[in-house]
Amino acid sequence: MNTVSLLNAKPAPRRRDATKAYCQASAVLSIVIVSVILLTLLIQSLPVLLSGDNGLFGARWNPDEGKFGIIAPLFGSVFVMLIATIIAFPIGLLTAIYISETRSSKLRRVIKSILELLAGIPSIVYGLIGVAYLNVWVADLFDLQSGRIILTAGILLGIMILPTFLTLTEDALSAVPQRYRENAKSLGMYRHEVFKGIIFPQAKVGIAGAGLLALGRALGETMAVMLVIGSLDRLPSPLFNPLSSGQTITSKLGREVGESAFGSVHFSALVFMSFILVSITIALTILSHYFLTRKQADV
Amino acid sequence: MSLLNPELGLIRSSMFQKSILGLSALILAACSAPEAVNVSGSSTVLPAVSLAADAFVKETGISVVVNAGGSGSGFNQLAEGQTDIGMMSRDITASELEKFKTINFTRTAIGRDAVVPTISSEIYEAGVKALTLSQIADIYSGRVDNWAEFGGPDRAIFAVDKEASRGTRQIFMGVVMGNPKAETPGTDLVTGSNNEEQTALTQSDSGIGMLSFAWLNEDVRGLSIILDDGRVIAPSLENIRNGSFPFVRDLLVITRSDMKPTAQQFIDYLLGPEGQDAVEQSGYIKVSE
Repeated sequence: MNTVSLLNAKPAPRRRDATKAYCQASAVLSIVIVSVILLTLLIQSLPVLLSGDNGLFGARWNPDEGKFGIIAPLFGSVFVMLIATIIAFPIGLLTAIYISETRSSKLRRVIKSILELLAGIPSIVYGLIGVAYLNVWVADLFDLQSGRIILTAGILLGIMILPTFLTLTEDALSAVPQRYRENAKSLGMYRHEVFKGIIFPQAKVGIAGAGLLALGRALGETMAVMLVIGSLDRLPSPLFNPLSSGQTITSKLGREVGESAFGSVHFSALVFMSFILVSITIALTILSHYFLTRKQADV
Repeated sequence: MSLLNPELGLIRSSMFQKSILGLSALILAACSAPEAVNVSGSSTVLPAVSLAADAFVKETGISVVVNAGGSGSGFNQLAEGQTDIGMMSRDITASELEKFKTINFTRTAIGRDAVVPTISSEIYEAGVKALTLSQIADIYSGRVDNWAEFGGPDRAIFAVDKEASRGTRQIFMGVVMGNPKAETPGTDLVTGSNNEEQTALTQSDSGIGMLSFAWLNEDVRGLSIILDDGRVIAPSLENIRNGSFPFVRDLLVITRSDMKPTAQQFIDYLLGPEGQDAVEQSGYIKVSE
């Protein structure tokens, strides 16, 4: 709206009304799409929610005996996401700081375009590399029989979300106006003080947004994870053992949706899992919004 | 948001337009040509069918699209009308039939195959060449977890299972555990297709799994089975042909009564001499000479 009103110095009510209506329609449409998706998922989940003795919140999955425990894939999804985060976020943040604060703008553009290229590689390619090399390396490193384990999936996901997180974080840092840095330096602050005291607080919201987008990708990634995680419907033992095979919600869906008949309780259980996945993503978004706006109000 | 490069959305080269034109011409052509036959399902049956499909396309000009996905997926796609022919390496189960009561399915055996308990070559060479069915059941139910128990090296057993809906898995578990859908607490890894399982077993040096006969090679060796009367049955072509190997099964193609004529034509071709040659070349056994 702003650009439009700036371009038309004289008020041109009719055209502006049309633009406004278009924008509103788009906004309404996206809300409608999200609600329809959520509603569909919820309705399709009903058969399993109403089917009684199905062990929905247990760890046993055996459609033949009517056991649809979602705990193992749910745990797997969260666990893999955590590993990916632990790998990607520190590296991403430090690299972004290095690029934006210490390199010339020309070099920055070169590095960034390479990184954006990485973000554009289809996930199946990462999956194939994971199956061919990464899982063999991981197996050798830990002396395992197979590298198709939770850790491999986490590492692979970490590599996959790194470019997204890095490039958006770097955007957020570079968006802090140059004169802030100059002013701070002229006050005699050291470089690290400038970053800690001036740039980071300004870029914080952008970095959090980058983190969320990366988390979303980590949670939703299917193909690459499916190929390297081992597809074992069981909680690892001990629970936080990343060296055992596991299952995520997405890999479970990828493996089994083709096998379940539409409308069956089995299908419904799979839909319910995706409903939970979507709910987690939405909860993350709302939580971070709340958290960030409150923090900003404090400043 | 330099990630969302606006220039990427504005490809206006003439090449792009040409390819769109070409694509729509292709789509139109596809509509007027004889209807393509879609086949999907078991990755065990797939090699034979796709080999025969190549020859069929050359001979008749009717195109055949063959997709993998597993027996369960093949059945579901057929029942839901997404494919013309389903490939299955096991029979249709009662619960599957129950779900689609209104549809008439026809099974046609196009060849025979054996599921073979398979171990990593390292274990085979260390001396574990034959096991009884109950020993294999011990491994998958988690009662035994070391090859030393069976005269092999002192190394943990790496048990590889397949997705529950896979035909190979259901034949194997049906014989070993007495229930095609048995839960296997001894499993360390679950794979999907024969291809994926073969890779996992090759990468491991103490693995056991199940493969279709045609997928055995020098890295993944077939186990002989010790029967209750003490006879040792090797997974050889002859033992599969005469039915003495315990895991013999039919390779099936499934159709519905409302199939297209071209699909029937392809099935007749599979049962004819060229189709049966393809079955044999893929490492399976013919159903007719």
